[in-house]
Amino acid sequence: MDLTPVLSGFAVVFEPQNLLYCLLGVTLGMLVGVLPGLGPAATIAILLPVTYGIEPAAAVILLAGIFYGAQYGGTITSVLLRLPGEASTVVSALDGYQMARKGRAGSALGIAAIGSFIGGTASIILLTLIAPLVADFALQFGPAEYTLLALIGIFMVATLGSGSLVKSVAAAGVGLLLATVGLDPMVGIPRFTFGSDQLADGIDFVIVAMGLFGVGEILYNLEHRLRPQPAVLSFGRAIPTRPEWLRSRLAVLRGSVVGFVLGVLPGGGATMSSLVAYAVEKRAAKDPSRFGKGAIEGVAGPESANNAAATSSFIPLLTLGVPANATMAVLFGALLLQGIPPGPQLITEHPDVFWGVVNSMYVGNIFLLLLSIPLIGVFVRLLRVRAGILAPLTVLITMVGVYSIRNNVFDMFLVVALGLVGYGMKKLGFEPGPFVLAFVLGELLESSFRRSMRLFEGDFTGFVQRPVSAALVALLVLTVVVVPALRAVRGRQAAQVEHQVTTPTSDGGLAVAANRTEE
Amino acid sequence: MTVSDTRPAAPADAVPPESPGESAGVPQEAAEPATAPPAEEISPGGPVLATVAGAVPVLLGLVTLWLAHGLGLGTLTEPGPGLWPTIVAVLLLVSGVALVLRARGTTDTEAFTRGTGVVLVGAASLALYAFLFELVGFEIPTVLVLVLWLRFFGREGWRTTALVSVLTTAALYGLFITALGVPLPHLIVI
Repeated sequence: MDLTPVLSGFAVVFEPQNLLYCLLGVTLGMLVGVLPGLGPAATIAILLPVTYGIEPAAAVILLAGIFYGAQYGGTITSVLLRLPGEASTVVSALDGYQMARKGRAGSALGIAAIGSFIGGTASIILLTLIAPLVADFALQFGPAEYTLLALIGIFMVATLGSGSLVKSVAAAGVGLLLATVGLDPMVGIPRFTFGSDQLADGIDFVIVAMGLFGVGEILYNLEHRLRPQPAVLSFGRAIPTRPEWLRSRLAVLRGSVVGFVLGVLPGGGATMSSLVAYAVEKRAAKDPSRFGKGAIEGVAGPESANNAAATSSFIPLLTLGVPANATMAVLFGALLLQGIPPGPQLITEHPDVFWGVVNSMYVGNIFLLLLSIPLIGVFVRLLRVRAGILAPLTVLITMVGVYSIRNNVFDMFLVVALGLVGYGMKKLGFEPGPFVLAFVLGELLESSFRRSMRLFEGDFTGFVQRPVSAALVALLVLTVVVVPALRAVRGRQAAQVEHQVTTPTSDGGLAVAANRTEE
Repeated sequence: MTVSDTRPAAPADAVPPESPGESAGVPQEAAEPATAPPAEEISPGGPVLATVAGAVPVLLGLVTLWLAHGLGLGTLTEPGPGLWPTIVAVLLLVSGVALVLRARGTTDTEAFTRGTGVVLVGAASLALYAFLFELVGFEIPTVLVLVLWLRFFGREGWRTTALVSVLTTAALYGLFITALGVPLPHLIVI
């Protein structure tokens, strides 16, 4: 492969301002990872308007840093409080917290940081090798392939999420519906605008993401605002001992591989890969009974995996223009906002952005290693920041940020309304993830579906007559059959992870399912 | 709030699945209440809420079906503007009906609490914020929202409230107006 664009990507990264944005991004990511409440998707959504004025490469470097930085930060609360800051660090709480109770918190945090670094870096290297091939292949995709890709993406996010399958499908349906508001993409007739000029252009993705993830989450946390402040376990230095490292190095390797593979899949991402990595470690261990009682592999494997997955989940977004999870959907919006449509042409038309962002992750991971080993004390101190102060700050940044996109007060009302929708969805057990992802993919799905139907002259069998689209149809059918079957297995299990970890977002299904076969 | 234990749930040193309800073979729903840790005040909603969760997609689907019909369906060869919304509406109807039918065994909703009132007041304060924004500039509404959220929602002292309110308003001014050059409506000119 031609290395010139890859190397010039490094030139982009090492511009002083981009280094600064990278550092800012990963630091913010650590912050939101540590502070429970706001996730990376919400944070990125809230910051979208602020990044509008920044150069494209710098903006995406910043936002991407928040995403993978949060994977490092979430570990801290998992280990020290058994309250995972992020869903993807839920399993680390199992053994991490037990280690902390035995005075080995420093080792747990240290191996998590080292594992994350190795997993993340390995994943970037693989991404560098694979992404150009995928993008090249995807250039020949037509509307039929995109219809199926979008369908697979939405379906997998709906099925692999932690909520109920039917609810996720319903949430995705609402997202698809909201995406049709505005002018019809083919014939230009206004749809569902109710005569409003404000709605004629459709609803901006940024507003949907900020409303559902940002305002929605803040309102939701407002209801349970007076939770007691948990006691933080103390620890010395965040470094594992030599025997601990020897014991966990294979776990780090296995976790990295699991994370990379699952991260690429739509709907996979960091959370699921960490669960699977935990199951893999438990199975690989000579004495599985140590797990849940402070086994260091139970921290090393999942932590390497979630970071590897966070990185590899960029592949579908940057090469196909199909986001693999909710956070990627928000980054999709960020690229659109910058006037750079994500897709197979991104790598050739905007090599500076593509390679700048990819290569910035090497630097970002080094920053994160420094932040989470020598500087970890600073972030631990942040655990004492009160949610009561944080909530109004974030909500006002959101409100002012929304206004700044179009200098339009209507958007502010819209974001509050969508925030209430997001709150209501959470109360009724609907995940916002499938909604937002379906909203993003809605227009692509509709217009490629309509184009394909024209192309095939109304004949559905056209989808199986092209080789690539036929393969995708097979994949879709496979997921429609296999995924519910997997869920049925896990429905019968009392999810072990959920019993041990104090979070409603945990999702231990696959991990438990995998454990079961060995017993 | 009646929480005496400030630590997050009892440490699980013991072998994890203890209660018989948690063994395999028993439907997950039955084991669910036992998983709720004592420190959390989140309680699951009942069948009524679960029915509402299904009724909302059904209603949305019906309204969409009706509106989409007016847009014109076209044919499969030449799809009209209403065809796609119709497909989506059917998806909503099917999933909504499935949710209503299974409402009895559903435990993934959350009961609305007294805190819901706070949420509504919070949302209303943001709507008022948007309303006042262009009328009187961003500074006064910003301070008002901060005071409401800090003092009354967050139970902070007056000193913290005053300090954070003023500093935040200044920081927003600095970030958006001075640094990013966004034309926010404002009273104070620097």
